[in-house]
Formats: sequence, structure tokens, C-alpha cells
Amino acid sequence: MSIGHTLLGLLEKGPRHGYDLKRAYDERFGQDRPLHYGQVYTTLSRLLRNGLVMEAGVEAGDGPERKRYAITDAGVTDVEHWLGTPEKPEPYLQNTLYAKVVLSLLSGRRADDVLDVQRAAHLAAMRELTKRKAAGDLADQLICDHALFHLEADLRWLELTAARLDRLKTAVTR
Amino acid sequence: MRQWFSDLALGVRLALGGGRTSWVRLALTGAGIGLGVAVLLTSASVTTVLSERAERQAANAPVTGEQTSGDVLYLTSWFTDYRGESISGRFVKGTGPDAPVPPGLSRVPGDGEMFVSPALARLMESPEGALLLERFPQQVIGTIDEVGLNTPHDLVFYAGDATVPEDANAISRFGGQLHENTLDPVLSLLVMVGVVALLFPVLVFVGISTRLAGAERDRRLAALRLVGAGSQRVRRIAAGEALLGAFVGLAVGAVLFLVGRQFVEDIQVAGLSAFKSDLIPSLPFAVMIAVLVPVMAVVTSVIAMRRTVIEPLGVVRRAKPVRRVLWWRLVPLVIGVGVLITQANAFGGTESQGSPTIVIGGIVMLLLAIPVLLPWVVERAVGRMRGGAPSWQLAIRRLQLESGTAARVVGGVAVVLAGGIALQSVMASAQSEVMDSPAPEVDRGRLTIHLSDSTPEMVEQTANLVARTVGVNQVHSLRSVGMEAGAGNYHPATVGTCEALMTQAVLPSCQDGDSFYVDAGSSLGYGTQLEAGQRVTVSDSDEDRQNDPQWTIPPFTVVKGPGESINFRSGLLLTPAVARAMPVEPGNPSLLVLIDQNEPDVGDHVRNAVAPMTWRVFVSYFGEADVTQRVAQFQSIRQGLLAGSLITLLLAGASLLVLALEQVRERRRPLAVLAASGVPRGALGRSLLWQNAVPFLLALVVAVGVGSALAALLLRIMSQPIVLDWPGIAVLSGAAAFMVAVVTVLSLPSLRRATGALGLRSE
Amino acid sequence: MTDPATPYDPGSAQGPGSAQALLEAVDLHKSFGPTPALDGAGLRVRAGEVVAVMGPSGSGKSTLLHCLAGILTPDKGTVRYRDVELSAMGDGLRSELRRTDFGFVFQFGQLVPELSCLENVALPLRLGSVKRKEAESRAREWLERLEVADVADKRPGETSGGQGQRVAVARALVTGPRVVFADEPTGALDSLNGERVMQLLVNAAKETNAAVVLVTHEPRVAAYSDREVVVRDGKSREMEPVT
Repeated sequence: MSIGHTLLGLLEKGPRHGYDLKRAYDERFGQDRPLHYGQVYTTLSRLLRNGLVMEAGVEAGDGPERKRYAITDAGVTDVEHWLGTPEKPEPYLQNTLYAKVVLSLLSGRRADDVLDVQRAAHLAAMRELTKRKAAGDLADQLICDHALFHLEADLRWLELTAARLDRLKTAVTR
Repeated sequence: MRQWFSDLALGVRLALGGGRTSWVRLALTGAGIGLGVAVLLTSASVTTVLSERAERQAANAPVTGEQTSGDVLYLTSWFTDYRGESISGRFVKGTGPDAPVPPGLSRVPGDGEMFVSPALARLMESPEGALLLERFPQQVIGTIDEVGLNTPHDLVFYAGDATVPEDANAISRFGGQLHENTLDPVLSLLVMVGVVALLFPVLVFVGISTRLAGAERDRRLAALRLVGAGSQRVRRIAAGEALLGAFVGLAVGAVLFLVGRQFVEDIQVAGLSAFKSDLIPSLPFAVMIAVLVPVMAVVTSVIAMRRTVIEPLGVVRRAKPVRRVLWWRLVPLVIGVGVLITQANAFGGTESQGSPTIVIGGIVMLLLAIPVLLPWVVERAVGRMRGGAPSWQLAIRRLQLESGTAARVVGGVAVVLAGGIALQSVMASAQSEVMDSPAPEVDRGRLTIHLSDSTPEMVEQTANLVARTVGVNQVHSLRSVGMEAGAGNYHPATVGTCEALMTQAVLPSCQDGDSFYVDAGSSLGYGTQLEAGQRVTVSDSDEDRQNDPQWTIPPFTVVKGPGESINFRSGLLLTPAVARAMPVEPGNPSLLVLIDQNEPDVGDHVRNAVAPMTWRVFVSYFGEADVTQRVAQFQSIRQGLLAGSLITLLLAGASLLVLALEQVRERRRPLAVLAASGVPRGALGRSLLWQNAVPFLLALVVAVGVGSALAALLLRIMSQPIVLDWPGIAVLSGAAAFMVAVVTVLSLPSLRRATGALGLRSE
Repeated sequence: MTDPATPYDPGSAQGPGSAQALLEAVDLHKSFGPTPALDGAGLRVRAGEVVAVMGPSGSGKSTLLHCLAGILTPDKGTVRYRDVELSAMGDGLRSELRRTDFGFVFQFGQLVPELSCLENVALPLRLGSVKRKEAESRAREWLERLEVADVADKRPGETSGGQGQRVAVARALVTGPRVVFADEPTGALDSLNGERVMQLLVNAAKETNAAVVLVTHEPRVAAYSDREVVVRDGKSREMEPVT
């Protein structure tokens, strides 16, 4: 899962400082694996280096440094590209897909586009497997079926999510 | 054309294909249509029965007054009663071996010999006929063939008797001309109403039977539409299916009719019976039935599938059912009412000015309005119902989803009911019109014995025979004589002892030599009252008129008749001493026998006692009177209509049962699912009852409405006051309700089977 | 019934790989009562391709299929088969089209329960006036091809679900249709039977160059398609194949 793209997506709503970003990330996507501060700052500095974010002033105060970051135009383009590219169809994608859906909703983009693109990618993979299965022996068939059922699970989740986009939208933009 | 046949054949194939289910459905359809066809064939035979009967009657009519040199036959007709059944006979005497033989007999019976009808033979041989046997000492030498009888249940005989008088009526041969029975307008209207009211429901039931298992058929045809059968072809295929049902029904009906025909001679419905050989459907009617039933089957099935044709996805998508439209359903009602209104008073007088075709058409239209209107009424009424017990809710929801079948089921009953209501009212009105005088009261405590062509010794002898009979209290001898006081002013006079006269009127006192006058009022039309001292012409029979014997009326006391009954002798009552002074011997001897009604069979004992007098005596209860031909016609029409009503009601019940069974069968799976998920059988049974009862109550309302309207219109046509026979309507409605309840109960076993474990299986 | 001026010619199939649409629906609207089932949906089907129509239940998939097949007439929009508008055809012509150029496989209920399986398969041919012998021998070939020759003389009610669906596939293909419409053809089957039916259907369609419009909500069934169309809230979205 791409932390960089996720942070960029979170920044689309407005400039934040690193601590805020970590909190927002953990709240939405880090249920069992919260980010370390270190991870946040290394990622941010990489994004800064690549010109996808920029510093938007420092907040005065005691405690640690409170530098605010904002997304650049290049950053927005990068997020858009990321959202529009399907993930490689493989098992256990839900975290990334979920993040993409939520970030689309948060940024007012069409989340069903994300889902449709992903479905197309999944189906293409499944078609490939189905063809292999038809040509292969029993062992091939069983292996392909295993993969097919996992991909199907992803797709079912996609459908389920698509059917509940409206509710999800109210939940995340609350 | 080949295409046509292959489509029809495919329809037949479909109707036959589904294994057991299809066969059951076909059997039910066949039974439903077959019952109707059998009834139709029977009614189509009525004309044959009647014409054959009329021909036999004509062939049996003696021809007299012809100049002949050969042997002749003398005949005198006679009748007697046995336990309320009338037995009629002819005493005959041939003058030689070449005397004409009455039809149905092998020869002319000699003195003391007799031929009897099969029914009479059976009666005489049975234990119940033991008493009758005493009345006929003659030797039975054979039975009368069919050609000599009207109906198989006729109780008739021909007996040879040497005492038959050789009067002017010498019979040279048998076989007269057919004389046509003409009915007066009221009676002919009654027949029209009856025939339509009884036969139309049969057609309705035939039509309903062709629509059995409509849902299944729609599903099947929708599947055909899907694979690319055009709407025309699907109609043809459906027509093929319907035709198969119709032909099976025709075959079943023909078989039922032919089998039933074997037993027809054993059956008597409302006193009517017919010979097997007479029971042949008249050809035009038979052809009409054979054409009408298939045509009707095809037409109803094509009409029924309007929606399927539009919607080949009948299976996949259940489009919201179209709400029924009212306006065209009112058309038959409006036409019927309009047509009948134009005929008002047309059958009122003695001559009918109306057109029977128009009247029949009007009645058919009005009755047709019921099955056409009912689906709409049921749909609208049920659509508003809510809530209630689960069984009620199940029934109502089912009706809301699909009220057509239920409406059709009760539609037929409603037609029977409406027809019955109209018929009942018209009949009641016709009865009051035809029977202008109230039926005479019969006094079962007195018997009158008339003696014809008898000597005073014979009267004496008869009186003695009667007096010795068990149960006889008194025997009085009466004679009568006619008097003419001026042209056309006739008065009867009765001669008897004081004791005898006291049975005829309330006498203050009586001694031999007294005279009395019973005033019957002017209603009897005897002209002016008699006065003492008046000169009158006396005659005991018309032949003696040449003598013109004159007599002077003696002084008399005016008395009253016995009670309110009009069946007393009015006119002069004379004691024997007075009568002796008359210039002619009073004739028309009769015996008045007072009997003990508690004595069993006393009447038949008396009849047996006078049997030796054979054709000379006629025994009847006091007050029994012959009816006029018009009344007799009315009575036989009423009998016929009663018999027809019974058959139609039975048919309605049977058809209802077929439909109810079919309904349960069609809904077997949902019912089984309900039962399996714990809905008690009782609740399902009750829901079935509600499903029948709710549409029935609505049908009742419609039927009473239409029936009363029809009755009112018909009464107007007859120029009769519009009086509806409410008790009759209540009885008819009750009977119909009872029938629906019985049918529901009878369909419960099939519900139990359907909800059993097997009902859940998919095939 | 056959009109010489019939605006389409069942005999001349379009070559495979033709980019031109065989069947095309544009901007379809269809309502049942107050609820719209289709709200601007469209679809192009090219000769010989298998198109999966996917989407949640109630999205209008089946309605789209019924409109494409000329069973339902859309309230608005056009369906063109070989450049002829379906709504312009009469019922007779549409029926003939269903018989000669289209085939149908539904979840259940499309077989006539009164006829044997063999007769069911032969039915479209016989409706098209093929002689009985000929029709039944061709039907038997198809039953063999779909591995259900043994149920030929049984009635549909006496077969298992998988056998019944294969019979339905045989019937859909027996006339050599250009388009087979399949609405959840495996909906009532377990996965093994379902996969087999799909394999047989798609293979047979490919061999005869028939296009398949496959309505399904199962991704594994949709995986037998060449591309998919997503229907959501009565609107469709065509996805080009991802390579």
C-alpha cells in the first residue's frame, strides 16, 4: 500500500502538519498498523523532494517542530493518476482499494470509477485464468480456481462497496 | 394450411405432454366440459322425446265414425287411483277376429283378459301392488309395447270386457292426426325463460372448464413466445390445446349421455321419464353442440390469453396486472335491459305480439352480464379489504393477486341463481295467472263414486259392496237432474234421502217431502234464482229433450252450503218423496261414501270393492276436479322446469367441485410450503373457504340484482304486476350457499393431499 | 409469415472480427410503473463476442437484455440489430427474429415442461417448419454436443438442474443463432455445474460465431466473457477489454 499517495490524498483537503496527517491516516486506514512518526516524516520529505508537496509555513509553539505541508499541482496529478490506475489484481488488496475509495470520496471524485477500473483489471486477470484453466490439466485447474476464487472475493467486495458508496460517503465526509 | 395443422398439433402435444399433471388436467377439463355436454345432449333430445310421444299419441288415437263392413272395436276409457298414482285403462270389446288391434298389443284382449304396461306389471308383481291385484281379476296375457305408451312409467292397461256398450263410437282403426299443442303467450314465455335460464349456465360452465389451469398454460405459452412463436401462432397452439379439451369433453359427454341413456327408463325426475329409444338428440341440435363447444373453447381460450400474447416474458417478469375496465363489461347488461324493455307487454294478452328471438336474446344478454361483470366487481370489492385473521388475510391477498379464477368459479353459480330467481318469479306470477281460481280443496274424508250407464239395481249392488268395506262409515246414494227455467237458465237438482242431503248442505231439519235451495251466489252463473211454483223443463240427459217434461218447482227452504268450500252442490236439494212426483226418473247416480281416514288404504279398499262394476265406476275424493288444459300444460311445464333445475344445480355443483379441485392442484406448491412452514391445516382450509365465500357473497349480490331486474322486466313483458318472490329468492340463495360450502368441504381432502409431504416435490 | 422484403437476412452472417456492431442499443429508457429500470443505458455487441452485463440486482441488467432481444420495447431509445430498428418490426417479425437469429438461456423456466428434452430442443426448428425427423436429429446432435444425450426422452422436470440448463443451451443454439441471450444461466447451479455449462455455452457460441449477451452477477461466470458492461441504476458503462 502506497503511504505516499495516501498522504497526498489526505493533503488534498487542505494543508496539515505531520502530526495531523498521522492522526488522520491512523483514524481511517491504520486500524491495526498505525504509522510511526518516522515513517510520516521520511515519506513527507520524499514527497517534498519530488515536488509533490511544499512547506506551507511553520506553526509557532512549544514542543516539536510544527511544519505545515500543502499539496502541489504535481501532487494532485499524481493522486489522480494513482486513483485511475487499477491495482495489480492479487489477493489481499482491500487495504489499498479501501484507501483509494475513501480518498476519492473525500476529494469529491467519483469513487465508482475507481471500482469500475479495478473490476476491469480483476476480470481481465480472471479471464486469463479461466482460459488457462480450460486448456490445463486438473492440477492447473485447481490452482487457477484457487486464484479465481480469491479474485472473485475481491470483486464481490468491490460490488458490495459500490452498492454502499452513498453510505460510505456520508460516513467519511462527516 | 400445413402450418396451421402443425400448430394445432403442437397444442395437442402440449396438452398431453406433462405426464400425470397433464392427464389430471385434461381429465378435469374433460369432466367439466363432458358434464355440460351430457346435459346439452339430453336437452337436445327433449324435442325428439316430445315429438315421438306425440306421434305415438296420435297413433294410439282411435278413429271412429268411418263406414266399415269389417269387425270393429268398442272402447270405453277408465281411470283409477292407486296410492296416489293414476292408472288409466281402456276396456275394449272386439266384434270379431278382424277387429282393429290397439297399438302395442299383440291382439284384442278377450273378455276377462288384459294387457298391462311394463310399469303396471311391475307394480302388480311387487309387494306394494298386492292390494292393486285385487282390483284386477282379469288374466294378464301380455304387456303393452313401447308404441302403445307415452313414457316407460305409464301405468296403463287394455282389458277385454264383454259389457262394453256398443254405442255409436265404433272404432274402425287406430292412428289419428297429430294435433299441435299451442301454448298461450304466458306459458310460452315461461318455457323460454326456463330453457334459457337452465341451459345458459351449462354453456357458462363449459366455457369455464376450458379455462382450467390458465396460469400453467400462460407460462407454457410464454415459453413458446420466447423461442420465437409469433402471437398468431401461439393463439393457434392454444387453440389446439383448447380443442383437445373440447373434443375430450365432447367424447366424455357423449359417453356419459350414452351410458346415462341406458338407465333413463329407470329414472324419474319430478314425475317425468322417457324411453331410451326416444332419447335421441335431434340432429340440428347435436350438430350445434358438436360445433359450439369447440368454438366456444377456442374463443374463450383466445380471449383469456390476451395478456400472454402481449407479454412473452410471462414467466420472467410479472407485469402489474391490468386493472379491469368497467365500461365494456356493462354492454351486455345495457343491451339486455334495453332489449327487454322494448318487449314490455308483448306477451301479455292471449295473443303474443313479441318476438321470441328478441326476448331470448335479451335474457341471454342479461345472464351473460353476470360472468362478465363479476371479475370487475370481485376485483374492486376485494381490493379494499384489509387485515383480519391469518386465514382471512391469506384468502384476501390471494384474491387481490388473482381474482379472475375465483370470479369465474362463482360466476357460473351466479348465473344459475339469477336464472332461478327470474324463473321463480315468472313461474309464481304465471301460476297466479293460469290458476285463476284457487285449487279446490279435497276432502279426504269422503269419496264420490260415479256410476255411468247403470241400472238402479247396479247402484244398489255397488252401495252394498261399498258398505261392507272396512273403513267405510256411511254410504249415501244421490241422483241429479237438470232443469231449465227459460232459455239458457239451467239449474241442477240433487235427489237423496235426508241423511244424504245433510252431507251436502246445512239443513235446519229434514223430512221426506222437503225441498231446499242452496244459494251459491251469483258467481256460479246459474242465472236468476228459482222461485216456488215456477214451471221448468226437466231432463236427465240431453237425448230426452224432445219430450220436454214439465215440472213445477215445489216450495223450498233456502239453506247454506257447508262452510266456505265451493265444492258443494248448489241448486235444489230434493228428498225422494218430492222427486217421485217428477216426470222423469233422476239419473246420474252417484254414491257419497264417508270413510274413516285413519284406516290405511281405505280409498283403495273401496276402489277394490267396486272393481266388479269395472268401467262403470269412477271413484274420486270429494272435491277432486279435473284441471283445464291450460293448467295441465302449466303443471307439466313446471314439472319440466323443476327437473331441469335439479339437473342444472347438480351440474353447477359438479363443475364447482372440478374447479375447486383444479384450484388446489394448481396452487399445490405454495400451499405445501405454507403447510410445511407451520400454517395449520385448519387455517388453510378456512382460507380456502373464504376464497370461495367472499366471491360467492359478491356473486350473490350481483345475481340477486340481475335476477330481480330480469324478473321485473319479464313480468312487465307479461303485463303482470311486479312482485318478487323473496322467500323463493332466499331459498335459492341458501341452496347456492350450501352448495359452495359442500364443494369447499369436498375439496378439503385434496387440500390435505396437496399439503402432505409429497406436495413439496417439484415435479 | 416470411416477408420477402424482410429487412434483414439471416443467411449472411457478418464475418468474425468485424468492428461493426451486430446489435446496438442507444440511450434506452424503460419504466415499470413509477420506478425506472433503464435510465439511458446502451450497449454494442459485435459478432461472435461474449459480453458480460454485470451489476447489482435491480440495476436493470435483465431489462436491458429483454430490450436488446426485442422482448420488451423501450419507452425511449433505439435497439438496432443489423442496422434495423427492432421497435420498427412487427410482432411477427420480432418473433421470427427470436426464432432464427436469437437464442435464450435463462436461469429456469424457459423449457416447456410438457415436452421431452429432445422435443424442447427441436421446438424452434419445428416452429420454423423444419420437418420433424430433421428437427429431432439436429436436436439430438446438439444434446450430444452438450453431453446430455441421455435425457433426450425425459421431460425437463425429470432432469437435474445442470442437465436442464444444458438442454436449454442446446435449444438456444440449435437454430444457429447470431446472438444468444443468457440471463443468469448458472444462477440455480452449483459452481462445478455452472462452470461446465458456461464452458459448453461459450465454446459452442465461439464455434458457431454467435455473440453472447451474458447477464450475471457472478464474477467467475463473467470471466467467460470477452468484455463486460456494468449497469448501475439503469445506466450502463462499457468497459473495453484490458490487455
